[in-house]
Amino acid sequence: MLNPSRRPRWVRSTLAGYAFLAPSLVLLGLFVFLPLGWAFVISLKQTNGFGDGAFVGLANYGRLLTDPVFWRVTLNTALFTIIVVPVSMALGLGLAMLMNSVLPVRALFRTIIVLPMVISGVATALIGVLIYDQNNGIANKLLRVIGLEGIPWQSSGPGAFASVVLVTLWWRIGFNMIIYLAALQGVSPELYESARIEGANGRQQLRYITWPMVGPSTFFLLIMNVIHSFQVFDVIFVLTQGGPGNSTSVLVTYAYTNGFLIRDQGYATAIGIFLLVITLVFTAIQWRVSRTRDLVE
Amino acid sequence: MQISRRQVLGAVGAFSLGAVLTSCAGFVRPASTPATGELTFTTWGSDSELVGFRKAIAGFESANPGAKITLNVVPYQQIYPTVDAQLQSNTAPDIFRVDYRNFGRYAGSKQLLNLEPLLDASVGASFTDALWRAVQFDGKPYGVPHHTDTTAILYNKAAFAAAGITSVPTTLETAWTWDEFEKVALTLQRKLPVGKYPFAYNWQGQGAARWLNWLFQADGRFLDKKLRSPAIDSEAGRAAIDFTKSFFTRKLVPANNSVKSSTYASDLFFSETVAMTFAGAFLIPDAAKLANFEWGATFSPRDKRGGGDLGGNALVATAGTTKKTLAAKFLAYMVGQKTMRDFCATSSLLPTRKDLVAKGIEFTVRPELSKIFVGQASTVRAADTAQVASPAMGAITTVLSDQLEQAFIGGQSTKDTLAGMTAGITQALSR
Repeated sequence: MLNPSRRPRWVRSTLAGYAFLAPSLVLLGLFVFLPLGWAFVISLKQTNGFGDGAFVGLANYGRLLTDPVFWRVTLNTALFTIIVVPVSMALGLGLAMLMNSVLPVRALFRTIIVLPMVISGVATALIGVLIYDQNNGIANKLLRVIGLEGIPWQSSGPGAFASVVLVTLWWRIGFNMIIYLAALQGVSPELYESARIEGANGRQQLRYITWPMVGPSTFFLLIMNVIHSFQVFDVIFVLTQGGPGNSTSVLVTYAYTNGFLIRDQGYATAIGIFLLVITLVFTAIQWRVSRTRDLVE
Repeated sequence: MQISRRQVLGAVGAFSLGAVLTSCAGFVRPASTPATGELTFTTWGSDSELVGFRKAIAGFESANPGAKITLNVVPYQQIYPTVDAQLQSNTAPDIFRVDYRNFGRYAGSKQLLNLEPLLDASVGASFTDALWRAVQFDGKPYGVPHHTDTTAILYNKAAFAAAGITSVPTTLETAWTWDEFEKVALTLQRKLPVGKYPFAYNWQGQGAARWLNWLFQADGRFLDKKLRSPAIDSEAGRAAIDFTKSFFTRKLVPANNSVKSSTYASDLFFSETVAMTFAGAFLIPDAAKLANFEWGATFSPRDKRGGGDLGGNALVATAGTTKKTLAAKFLAYMVGQKTMRDFCATSSLLPTRKDLVAKGIEFTVRPELSKIFVGQASTVRAADTAQVASPAMGAITTVLSDQLEQAFIGGQSTKDTLAGMTAGITQALSR
């Protein structure tokens, strides 16, 4: 038997590496990869959750292709992501720049903006219900005070979608601002000073200094926001329940409906696996194309 | 032989005691089995319901020294995912509460304890036919009907007076017909200010099955008599969809009163956005606290017949429980005459026992309204409840919700709605 002390150096360092990784790998294996594998197996079955169910191969995935509601909710999810991610990041960056400047009572503003982040999604959505109730909500009352018509936040698709987007933005901006603020505070003031000496205006400083320097944060926020947008559930579940019609249903609410109301858990799991795949694909693409993800000063 | 007055009273007393004991816990077979051990009981509940449950549990424990019931309360929205996960992982409670619409799914999946060998054969005769039918699967009882509830109308007295409506029906026989109800709604509409509506219907929050009240009132069915095929594409189905669609097209209800709305009908009533709301009796304690105006109740409308939804809940034991006898004894106790009367009175819910229905019940809050809801519950027929207890009811409710939403605010035609319901119900039954 080989004496451990005689093992080559690279073997020892590899073993040491795996030893350090082992706790995380075990936890990931138990709580992420095993359930994922299990979920994939369930997606190959027709089951109401009780008993073994019937193996149906890829039939649940085949159903996805021909299910018009699935395509509608996929489109809604994509639209929600396309609107919420850039707008919440742009507003987060804008607010972070404001908070990083000489704004008076910055601490108070920061707290107000970050506050929704520490409230649960359900509580945030309940506040949204109070604001966007189309008969007695605060938003329509304010509109009527200034002589405008109330908006059908609950009975028209665009109105309901807008209410979901607005509540989500209110909820998310604080997180984006915090991350961007941390990044901005790591940018050396000398860079801006040099740029000013060279005659760069504000827009040019933003384009050529701020934007590249917050690149790693942008990459992180993009991935996180897209994942959160694909997985949005609580705000919609409480605020609109996917309605009116299916105008605010998204992939996760549709999976919930199939899994826990219709109890077609194989199909619900297939929707979940689809969501996982598109999230992974998006992340992989971003990883490949982002040139500023590892940029440091 | 001379029989003294004291002997007569003693005999009557002994007979009465026997009858009371039978009504309390005499459903269990064999009755002499000692009731000891611990049971876990998972439920959701309003404050008043939980008070009722705790009181009943204390009564059972005191009547059965050595028995302990551990109550686990979860929010309503989480009850079925929680129980499902527990059943799947063999950590299910011994007893849980289930609404009649979800009962069939558990019974049909063999997750519930067959109570037939554990309960006295005569137990079924104690309950109304409709409610006893609601806890049957394949002709066997898999639960006990703990209480029921159904939909009637709450109305704002001042709004009615302002519209010149001076009386409402006080008996089932004189309940408004659909035409009369429509006239009342239109009268209100003419008198109400802008932004106020005649009424709201309580089909939100997974309550789409309450639309079936209209179908039943039109003497229709959504499943055939064998409960294996859809039967909704009928004259009654058409009438029910046309009538309920007209609520939206004629603006008799607010636009956000549709099936998937996050605003409940009761909230529209409490905020005086509507003059009437359809509501279950369970809402009475809330209405007493939250409605800052005088309100009353009357019966739901009728068409070819009266009809109501099968609200309320059953109590069931899980098939995997190791304490079958104790579980059956506890269930029997929970539907005993005194226990049920106390629970229903405290929680503003309706009894399922024939004797309590016949005698009537007095809610603790607004007792004068009890007879409206008890009377309305009598319009629920066994043929209606048999359909609602289908194992596919959960999936059918989602079909109803989707199709009604399309019909009410999506502009979908009645023909397409019936076709969509038929296709959806067929698919639900095939799973």
